Parts: sequence; C-alpha cells; structure tokens
Amino acid sequence: MPSRTKTQPPRTFQELIFALQRYWSDQGCVILQPYDMEMGAGTFHTGTFLRALGPEPWSAAYVQPSRRPTDGRYGENPFRLQHYYQFQVVIKPSPLEILDLYLGSLRTLGIDPLMHDIRFVEDNWESPTLGAWGLGWEVWLNGMEITQFTYFQQAGGFDCKPVTAEITYGLERVAMNLQRVENFFDILWADGPLGRVTYRDVFHQNEAEQSAYNFEHADVAWLLQEFDAHERSCQALLGSKLPLPAYEQVLKASHTFNLLDARRAISVTERQRYILRVRKLAHGVAEAYLQSRAALGFPLLKSNTQSGVAA
Amino acid sequence: MSKRDLLVEIGTEELPPLALKGLADALLAGIVQRLDDAHVKHGRAQRFASPRRLAVLVKGVLEQQPEQQINRRGPPVSAAFDANGQPTRAALAFAESCGVQVAALQRVQDAKGEFLLFSARRPGAFTGELLPGVVQGSLDALPIPKRMRWGSGEAQFVRPVHWVVLLFGKDVVPASILGVQSDRFTRGHRFHAPKPFRISTPGAYLNALRKRAYVLADFEERRERIQVASQELARALGGQPVMDEALLDEVTSLVEWPVALAGRFEERFLHLPREVLIATLQDHQRYFPLSAANDVLMPRFIAVSNIESSDPDQVRAGNERVVGPRLADAAFFYETDRKLPLAARCPALAQVTFQTRLGTLQDKVARIRTLGAHIAGHINADARLTERAAELCKCDLLTAMVGEFPELQGTMGRYYAQHDGEPGDVAAAIAEHYLPRFAGDDLPATRVGMALALADKLDTITGIFAIDQKPTGTRDPFGVRRASLGVVRIIIEKQLELDLRELIAMAAQLLAAQSAGVGSVGDGVRDQVYDYMMERLRAYYLDNASGLEISTEMFDSVLSNRPASPLDFDARLRAVERFLKLDAAASLAAANKRIANILRKSQLPQTPAVNIELLRAPAEQRLHGELERLRPQIEPLLAQRNYTEALQQLAQLREPVDAFFDSVMVMDSDAQLRNNRLTLLAQLRDLFLHTADLSRLPG
Repeated sequence: MPSRTKTQPPRTFQELIFALQRYWSDQGCVILQPYDMEMGAGTFHTGTFLRALGPEPWSAAYVQPSRRPTDGRYGENPFRLQHYYQFQVVIKPSPLEILDLYLGSLRTLGIDPLMHDIRFVEDNWESPTLGAWGLGWEVWLNGMEITQFTYFQQAGGFDCKPVTAEITYGLERVAMNLQRVENFFDILWADGPLGRVTYRDVFHQNEAEQSAYNFEHADVAWLLQEFDAHERSCQALLGSKLPLPAYEQVLKASHTFNLLDARRAISVTERQRYILRVRKLAHGVAEAYLQSRAALGFPLLKSNTQSGVAA
Repeated sequence: MSKRDLLVEIGTEELPPLALKGLADALLAGIVQRLDDAHVKHGRAQRFASPRRLAVLVKGVLEQQPEQQINRRGPPVSAAFDANGQPTRAALAFAESCGVQVAALQRVQDAKGEFLLFSARRPGAFTGELLPGVVQGSLDALPIPKRMRWGSGEAQFVRPVHWVVLLFGKDVVPASILGVQSDRFTRGHRFHAPKPFRISTPGAYLNALRKRAYVLADFEERRERIQVASQELARALGGQPVMDEALLDEVTSLVEWPVALAGRFEERFLHLPREVLIATLQDHQRYFPLSAANDVLMPRFIAVSNIESSDPDQVRAGNERVVGPRLADAAFFYETDRKLPLAARCPALAQVTFQTRLGTLQDKVARIRTLGAHIAGHINADARLTERAAELCKCDLLTAMVGEFPELQGTMGRYYAQHDGEPGDVAAAIAEHYLPRFAGDDLPATRVGMALALADKLDTITGIFAIDQKPTGTRDPFGVRRASLGVVRIIIEKQLELDLRELIAMAAQLLAAQSAGVGSVGDGVRDQVYDYMMERLRAYYLDNASGLEISTEMFDSVLSNRPASPLDFDARLRAVERFLKLDAAASLAAANKRIANILRKSQLPQTPAVNIELLRAPAEQRLHGELERLRPQIEPLLAQRNYTEALQQLAQLREPVDAFFDSVMVMDSDAQLRNNRLTLLAQLRDLFLHTADLSRLPG
C-alpha cells in the first residue's frame, strides 16, 4: 500500500534516493548498499541475480552505480552517461499488487498520476550475458522512460520459481522530471547549509575522463588477457564450490568485455562468442549457487514462514 | 428456447501493444468456434481490446445445447466375446464406461470390421455449464509468443491476470480462470477509475466503461478518436499528421482513454534527414510527426496520452523534454557517421556475417558486384557505377544511425554517399537496392538501382537454396519469398529483358566459387530456385498485381514452356489472356486438348514432315494448306514475341481444325496414313506450343 508518511517531495538527487529507500523500507524490503564492483546494471548485484534463483523469498532495494562504457559522451550529451545510478527493487514472489506498490512510490516522489501521463509500455528484458530474461515494461512518465519493470522468468538459464519482480528506476531520469531540467548535469544533487551542488559538480570531470579512457586509453592487449584470466579464475572457483567469489569473476569478465566493446576491439562475429563465454560462466555460478543454497536448506524459506512476513 | 448475452472479460496488467488486436481476434474466434462445436446457437459476436483487457461479447446465446446424439465405438466384436459367446473383460469395461449392460450395446460394421457401439441421445447441457471450458480452451489456444508466470502461481498468460468477468445474461458463471475466480466486477481506467465496478448485464459493458470508467474498450472506436483528434490538432497548427497505419494501431493499443496533445522541438533539428526525424519521433516516442502543406516536416509532433490531466501543460512539457535529447542523439549519430566516408567502412564488412555458410557481408558484396555488373550490361545500366554502388551498399549497416534505426538501412547509405560526393546514381542505388521491401512497395527508379536490387536478391535466394534452407510457410528469416517476388516485379514492371535461368546459374557459380560452405550448386538447386520464383510469379498474377485477370490454368499454359525470360513469360501470358476473349478460344483449347491426348496415346514415330501425297481427305488437305500458309506469318511474330498477334492468326485455324475432326479419322488402319495425320497434328500443336500449351486452358 502507498506509504502514508507525509513528506515533502524530494527536491534534490540525494533526497530522491532517501525517499525511495524510505518508501521501500516501509514496504518491508531489505535496504542494501551498492555492490562494490563495476557492473552494467543493478541486475548484476547478487541481491538480484543470485537471489532471483531458487525457492527462497527475498525483498530488497538498493542504489547501484552502473557503468556502460559505450554510452560515454565525454560529458557532452545531456542524456547519456557512461556512469549513472539505478535504484533497484526486487520482490520475490512478486505480489499481485506490485504495480500499485510502484505507483505508490511515484506518489511519494510527488508524481501525481492524475496530472502526469504514466504508461506501462511492453519491453521484454533479456541479458544475453546472464542467460536471463523476463517480461515487463518500460514505464513512461510523460513520454520519458523512467523505470524498467520485469517479471523474471529465467536467470542463469534456470526457471525462476517463484517469480521475482524487478523494478529499476533510472534515478537521473526521475530527477530530471522532478526538477524539470533538460540536462542530467543540471540536476541538483544537494542543497543544504553548505551550498548547492549539481550533478555536474560531482560527475562532469569523471564523465569526460572516463569516456577518454573507455574509448581511447583502455589497454586492449591487457584487457584481453584479463578477460581470459577472469574466465579461468571463475572456472577454478566453481571447481572449489565457491559460487560467490566465482560470481565476482563473472562481474569482472563482463565489465572487461564492455570495455573491449567500447574500444571496438572485438569484431561483430567475435562479440557473440565473448557473450557466450560470459553466459556459460553465469550459468555455472547459478548452478553452484542453487546447490549451495540447497545444501544450507534454503534458510530464508524457513525464517520467513516463522516470522510470518508476507512479501 | 430462451437466449442470453455472454460477456467474457480478462483483466490484466498492460498487454503488449503489437499483439493486442491479434489476441482479441483469436479470443473471439476461439469462443465462437467452441460454441459452434458444442452446437450452441448464438447471434453476433464482437471483441474488445485495450491495454488492460481482452473481452468478447456474444449476443443471443442459447441457454441450452440441443439434444446430443452420442455414438461411441467399442472393441471389435471378435474381441468382445469369448468362445462361449460370453462377454470378455474388454466388452464389460466398455459397457461400464458407457453406464449400460453389454446387452444394451449395438453393433456397427465398417471397413475395419464389426464393433460394439454405444448409441444414445442425451439432453443438451446448460450453456452456463459449458462456458468455463469454452473460455479456458480459448485462452489456452491464444497465439501468445511468450507466456509468463507471476508470483508463486502456476498460471501462465501474456501478463498477470487480475480479474475475470464471466456473465451469462444477468448471472455470473462461476469459474476459476488463470487462477482468478470469475465475477461481475471489472476495473476502469488505471488512474481515473481504479475501483472495481459492477457490470449488470453483458449488453451494458461497453457503455458502462465509456460513461463511467474512462475506458473506450472498442478498439476501432478508440483508433478513430485518436485519428480525428490528431487531425484536429494538426489543422489548428496548419499541418497534417504523418500517420503510419501500424503506428496508429500501436498507439491505440497503448491507451484506454486517448487524449492527444501537440508538442514542439527545436527548429535546428530540421536539418536532419526527414526519415531520421520520423524514425525518432515514431520509433522511440510513438509520436505522430507533423508536415506542412508543402509536405515539409514541422518542428512539431502529436503525442497521445492516456489521461485527462489536471494540468495538461505538465504532460506537454514532459514530452517536449524527452524529444530534445532523442533528437540530439540522432544528430550526434548523423555528425559522427559523416566523419568517416562510407567507402572507409568497406573493410569492416569482413567482420559481419551474412550467413554462416554464405560468408560475410564482404563476400556477399564481392558476389553482387560481379553479378550486378553483368546484369547492368543487359539492361543498359552503367556497369562501373553498379560496381561502385555494390561496394558501398552494405556499408551503412556499420553506421551508428542504422545501428539505432535498422529500418533506415539504405536510406542512410544514400544520404552518406551524397555527402561523400559519390555519383547520384550510386547514392540512389544504395537506397534502391532494398526495394521493394513489402507488397506494393516502390521499385528502383534508376537502372543502376535495378541491376543492384536484382543482384542482391538473386544472390540471397540462390544462396539460401544452395545451403538447403529454403523458406517454409512460417520460416523465412532471409526474406527469400519477398526477394523472389521483388525480382519478378522489377523485371516485369520495369520491362527488363533478362534470362532468369542464366542469372540463377551465374549467382550459383559465384557462390560456389567463393564459399567453401556452399560447395557446387547443381542443376537441381538451380531448377528449385527457378521453380520457386515461378511460384512467386504465379502468386503475383493470381493476386491481380499485374492488372490482368489471370487464372492458374492460364499461368500453367505458359509455364509449360518454362520461359527463361520473365518478360517473355509476361508477353505470352498477355497473349493467352487476349486469346481467351476470342470466339475461337474454347474450341481451339478443346482441340489442343484432344490433340495432346491423341499424341500422348499414339506414341508418334518421328516423322520429319507431312507427306502431301498421303493427305487424302479434303479436310486434312485444307488443314495442312492453312498450316503451311500461316506458318511463315507466325514464325516472325514469334521471333518478335508478338504472341498476341500469333495467337490471333492461329485462331483462324478453328474452322479447318473443327472440320478435320468432324470428317477425318486420325487412327486409320493404314499405318502410313495414320502416322502422316499424327505428324500433321503434331505440327499444328507445335505452332501453338511456341506460345503456350492451350490444352491446359478450360475449353
């Protein structure tokens, strides 16, 4: 149900994050912190990808810095960044009223659905590298995509039973709308007794430099070796039945691949093979993770029934 | 018997817009089909479709099935009774399953033997009892590409199901459908009327939603409203909406309560190619672009929202905020792409697979360069320009713009080639070589474009057949069907004199010489390609795409000669069409049929010429005389492909032929006379066969 907490709509980027954390915390989600490694999306966080596997219930929300090297524009495009923020919510099993819960979060942000045009437009999600897919929508706010909504059907090549609902807010896009600015860099990040700080102040230099790194300076020869090394490590760790460290090697391999892609160091035909290599690792991790949870007796299955918490 | 209206509504989360109409159509067809199968008579049925609902209303459905005749066949009599005439276990089990004694069973005899038969009449079921099965069966059979699960349930559907309305007259038909208990409560608009609300009778459904719940459930009504509202907005701005039919359907599928609004974007983006602007506005945003009276785009768009907003300016401003960055992105692609000439992208084509066994795009380009130049030589196109166009025609696939908007392939190539200073014909051909892209699409306008379009398509068609991947009814990933129709359309409608068999052979040879994955392409494959293309040609004529009334018999009469040139094929077909309008047609067609039969049965010995000495009957002498008189006139006509005139001339033979058959006995007992007459008939038939096999025509 929509939160009844009477709060002012967020004025700044950081207040937006606080508001979403508060709202989803009120709904019963575990508030996690960002995963401390480079990843392309919040989906890669263990709190989504691995927790979507198996029978255990799970509800979490967190911010995830996301890196997409090919989207770098040297800080010159108002709408594209190679580093940006996603706010991720996952609930398993997906409650029937999940869309209403989501709309409640928009109301909390001061977005009145009777004033703004909110639409759920089919967008079926697939991550070839994770061997994951789901059906859902992109959510439009006055024509702007602000959220991805997915009912996971498979992850790591395994059927998701029960189904996890994944909500991914594009925080910059939401903030742009709330603050009515036309450029990510004009988003007000903080506005307190110590002054106003914009997204530009925080990140513009980073965008320019990281774009140069992604497109011009990343060491291709070394990255190619690194990819191979992560693949080997992952396989070795899977052999030692250590799915969580093995998964971090998947994350590293995936990011390395993204950098190689930005450097256009991988031919179109080779590209497919690299994706398949990552997918194979992800599948191995998913399998090992499921086994490890089964070995533990799927602990969340028990604790949740005991405390009677309904997702 | 009394009747009631039936309403089925499946309430869901937002359905996929491109599939929506098809799903509703299939639900309607499924329900009607199942009512009919159950012999439940009913009146008119209609379907409704909106983002959150699929519904079907059937008027005047009988409350009860008619009495049912039941015939169940049991085991064979031989297995039903033992040596003592006592019923076996099989017989007893069958009787029990029918609820009767063995003695009450009848016997039935058919081709397979004698069997036990249970025959009875049963009162018809109440329709209400049948409905849950009718609905469930129809839902199970929906053509859903990907079904999904949700929550912890096992139900699978397009999107999660929230409510099911199942009303038969005023009554709810209790049923559990897709994990939901049926009732009479629907939902209105997600934001304007979110609470469940009651539907009293099926007939009240549409109006209740329209009047009280901000939902226009009727797809066509909603579409019409969007169209009218958009045109009104556009007119007020002095323009016309650019309304793609498919986009209009999609927009209709995205709203329950359409409210159109006009927005604008910065004028500076108008320097982008028209196609880029339209693609950005349509593909990404589902907006309708606006064009002024002179057909030039305006810096405006129409968006269709799903809300009667308490502050419409917010919605407008929001939409305008999105479109700017979108166009900025397109402008970025356009600038970046133009920094590198198309020609500089050629080497990278080696990195793109066309088809695993048919090589890379670079391989394909090499093949169509040779084939295109060869075709150019035959159709008065500049071979050098054709080669250049071939080299560049796939390069735009590597540009950022085409990466973002795949449907702009060819179009962007044209713009970029112009920018690079390539010759006008080369730029045009790059765009035109994809034509025609769909039925009724434009054909290439330039000769170079025609040569390249033919080369590209023939290479694809022949290649796909060569690796044994020929298209099936449902699987045609390389668009071979469309390409084949494209080839015959270009050749015929552009009046190009080309030997299709020779071109197929050349395409095959180029493939074999280059791709290890293909190996040699034998005659069998070439014939398959030719036959396949002839079948597309048949479809072309039977669809009246040529403007002629062509029957499949007429087509077959020409196909029997297997003309290598489609243009020649066309000329023959036109001649046959004209011929059939002559009085003499039916009788000559019949004569040809008769001659064909006689010749087939008689195994004619090879006689080079008719022996005049042996012509005894006046009728055969006359026929021979006419034949000899006409032959020198016909042959030059055939050489000129003036088949129409040739057949008109041959029509003069009707009388002598009829007279011949009336008075001459072909199968004379004298072998010499007989053979001489058969030779005469064979010559006669040959003269017709040069144009078409008239024996295949109705006559």
